[in-house]
Amino acid sequence: MSQSGKGRLNYRCPSCFMRDLDIDMFYDKDKDEYYCLRCQFTGSEKDVLEKNEMARFRYRSMLKRITDFD
Amino acid sequence: MGKFILNIIHRPEMVPEYAEKVTGQGKKEDISRKSLLTESLDIFKLQQQIAHDNGFKTTIQMTYASLFNEEAVSLAKEHHEKFGDEISLTLLGLPCKEFRDKYKTKDFCIWMFSMEDKKSIVTDVFEKFYSVFGFYPTSTGSYYLDAELTNYIKQKYPMVKCAVATCWEEGPKAYRTCNNSWYTLFDGGPWNPWIPSKQNTHSPAANEEEDSGIVAIPHLSRDLLACFDGNGSNFGTHPQNVLRGMIYKDGEYPYLYNLIDQYRSLEKYNNGYAYNMMFVGPGWMNKAGRWEAPYELLVKSYKDGMAYYAQLRDKGELEEMTMTEFADYYRANKTYTEPECALWKDILCGSEKQLFWYVDPYLRTCVDMNQGGALIDLRPYVSKIEWPVGIGTKHVQDASYPFLIQSMYRAGYFTHYAGEGTIKSCKITYKGEEVDLCLCRTKAKFSQNGKDRILTLDPVEIEFSDLTLKLVSTFTFTEGTGKIKISRKIIEMSNPDAVVHMNEYITACYGTTEYPEDMCGIVLKCIGKDDVKEIVYKYKCREDSVSDVKKVEAIIPQIDTRLSMTPMVDGVEGYFREGYAFSPMFTLGLTKNISNNEELITCLNLEKAD
Repeated sequence: MSQSGKGRLNYRCPSCFMRDLDIDMFYDKDKDEYYCLRCQFTGSEKDVLEKNEMARFRYRSMLKRITDFD
Repeated sequence: MGKFILNIIHRPEMVPEYAEKVTGQGKKEDISRKSLLTESLDIFKLQQQIAHDNGFKTTIQMTYASLFNEEAVSLAKEHHEKFGDEISLTLLGLPCKEFRDKYKTKDFCIWMFSMEDKKSIVTDVFEKFYSVFGFYPTSTGSYYLDAELTNYIKQKYPMVKCAVATCWEEGPKAYRTCNNSWYTLFDGGPWNPWIPSKQNTHSPAANEEEDSGIVAIPHLSRDLLACFDGNGSNFGTHPQNVLRGMIYKDGEYPYLYNLIDQYRSLEKYNNGYAYNMMFVGPGWMNKAGRWEAPYELLVKSYKDGMAYYAQLRDKGELEEMTMTEFADYYRANKTYTEPECALWKDILCGSEKQLFWYVDPYLRTCVDMNQGGALIDLRPYVSKIEWPVGIGTKHVQDASYPFLIQSMYRAGYFTHYAGEGTIKSCKITYKGEEVDLCLCRTKAKFSQNGKDRILTLDPVEIEFSDLTLKLVSTFTFTEGTGKIKISRKIIEMSNPDAVVHMNEYITACYGTTEYPEDMCGIVLKCIGKDDVKEIVYKYKCREDSVSDVKKVEAIIPQIDTRLSMTPMVDGVEGYFREGYAFSPMFTLGLTKNISNNEELITCLNLEKAD
C-alpha cells in the first residue's frame, strides 16, 4: 500500500467542519476514499459532498437576500 | 445619505501562505520554486485587473519578497501611473530567499519577532522599498501590529499614516479551527477603523498625547455576530472566506452581499459613516482550487464581490479610497472620543438574534438582546494595558486585549452543574422566585442625544406564579466617560402594589483565552456611607455587603483595571462575592426593592487601576 496524498480540491473533513475544525483530508487511492487524520471519518467523494450539504443546515438564511437591517 | 467607504488592497505575495503548504504538498519545501512565484504573480495581476475593470483604484501592498521581483515592482509603478493605485508596503509576505538568508528563521509574523529583529526587519523592508521606488510608503500593515512596533515605525518613518493593524476576533477560535496550528491570537480589538493608542494597539487613543500617529484599519470587515462564536475566516468581506464557510450553493452567495449591506447600514449609528475593507491574499485564488471550490469559483466570487461594490459606487452609494486617502478622511472627520457603534443582526442562521457592539477609547462591549440586554463582552480599554508581544516578552504569540467578560470563553448565564460564568445582567426576585433577564429575549432600538448613545430595549414580560410585570432596560453610553448607565424600569405590574427585589450584577474575571487565570490578589470592595468591606481574592467563596452603598468595586492588578458599579438612586445595598477554584470569578451587585413605575439606575465604571 503506497502513501496517501491530497485529493482534488483539498476536501476538508465534513465531520470536523461541523465542529468548526478545518482539516484537509488525505486520499487513499487503494481504497478510493478520503479519510481524516483527526477523527474517524472516511468516505468517497460523493459521501463528502453529501455531508458538506448537511453541514449547511445551520445557514437557514444562506440563500436569502436581506434588505432590512433594523 | 451616508458615506460608505471602501479600501481595496492587494499584495503580490511571492510565497502565498497557503500555496506552499497546499499546492506544494508532496514536494520538498522550496520557497523560490519558479512555478510558485509565477502563479502568485499571476493571481496578483488577475486581482488588479478585476479591480481596474470595475473602475476601482487599489492599494498595492508590496511584500518584502516582491521588492526583489522586477515584474512586481514594474507592475506597481505602472498601475500607480495608470490607475492611481497607492504603492504601499506590507509586513506580511516576508518569506523569501533574501529574508531567510539574513534572519535564519521561518518566522513570518512581524509581531512575533523579538523587538530587536522587528526594528531590523522594518529597516530592511522600508529601506528596500525606498531603494526600489525612491520614496517611503505612507501606509503599511500586517495581520497585527503591536504598539511597540507601531511606535517604532512611526518614529523612524513618520510619513506612515495608515496601517492594517488587527483582524477582528481572530484569536483562540481561529487557532482551534486551524487544528491548533494558526497562531494569530489577537482578539479584543475594534471592528472598524480607529486611531490606536501608543500603549496598546487594540485600545483607541483618547487624546493627542495617546495618539500613535496612524489610522488603523482592520484586516477585512467581519460579521459581528458569526465571528464572535465561530471561525472568523468564514464570515468576512473576503469572497473566498465565504466559500471556506460553505456559505454558497450553485455558485451563488447572497450572504456576501448581505454582509456588505449590513456594514453599509451601520452609518445609521455612526453619524453617517460606514466602512468596508477587502483584502484577499493570492493564496486564496490558487489554480488548484481551495476549500472544495475549484479555481473558477474562487475567481468568480472575487469578480462578483468587486462587481457588487462597483454597482454600489455607480449608484452613488460607495466611495473607494486608497489607505492613505482614507487616513486623511478619517483624521478630518472623526474625533478621538467619538464611539463606533453597531446594532447588528443575524443575517446567516435565520434567528432573530441581535447584538449591539460599542467601542470608544475607554471600553469595548457587546450587549446581547437575545439575553435581555446582558453584556457578553467587556474590555477595559481605559487601562491601556501595556502588553508587549513577541519573542523575549511574556506574550510570544498572545496579543489579545484582556477581557473582563467574554461569555463564550468563560461561560455566561449557562454553566454546567456548578459555578458561574462571566456576564452582566439583572435578576428580579419575588416571593422566593427568581428570574434572570438573560432568559428574556428581546430587541433594541438605537438613538443618539448629543454625547449620549442610547440603546432602548423592547419591554420584556416576566411571569411569577402570582405576579406579571413588564420591564424596560435602557443603556446609555456617554461619550468620553468610560461609563455605562443602565436603567431597569418596571412599566406595568399585574398587582400595582407588589414590590420586587432587583439585583443588578456583574460576574467577571480576566483573561485572553478559554482557560482560567490566577485570581489571587484581586481586591473586592463595598463602600458604604459609613462602612467599607474589603477582601483580597483567595478562592474562599466569601461574600459581604453594605447598605446605603456608594460603590462596589473590583481592582484587578493583573490588568491594571478598576471595575465598579455605582447606584444613581438612593437606598441601594451593595455586595461582592468571591469565587472558588471551580468558579474562578467574582461578582459585584447592587440591589433594591422597587414597585410599579419605579426604576433601578446604576452605572458601570471602568478606570485604570493606578
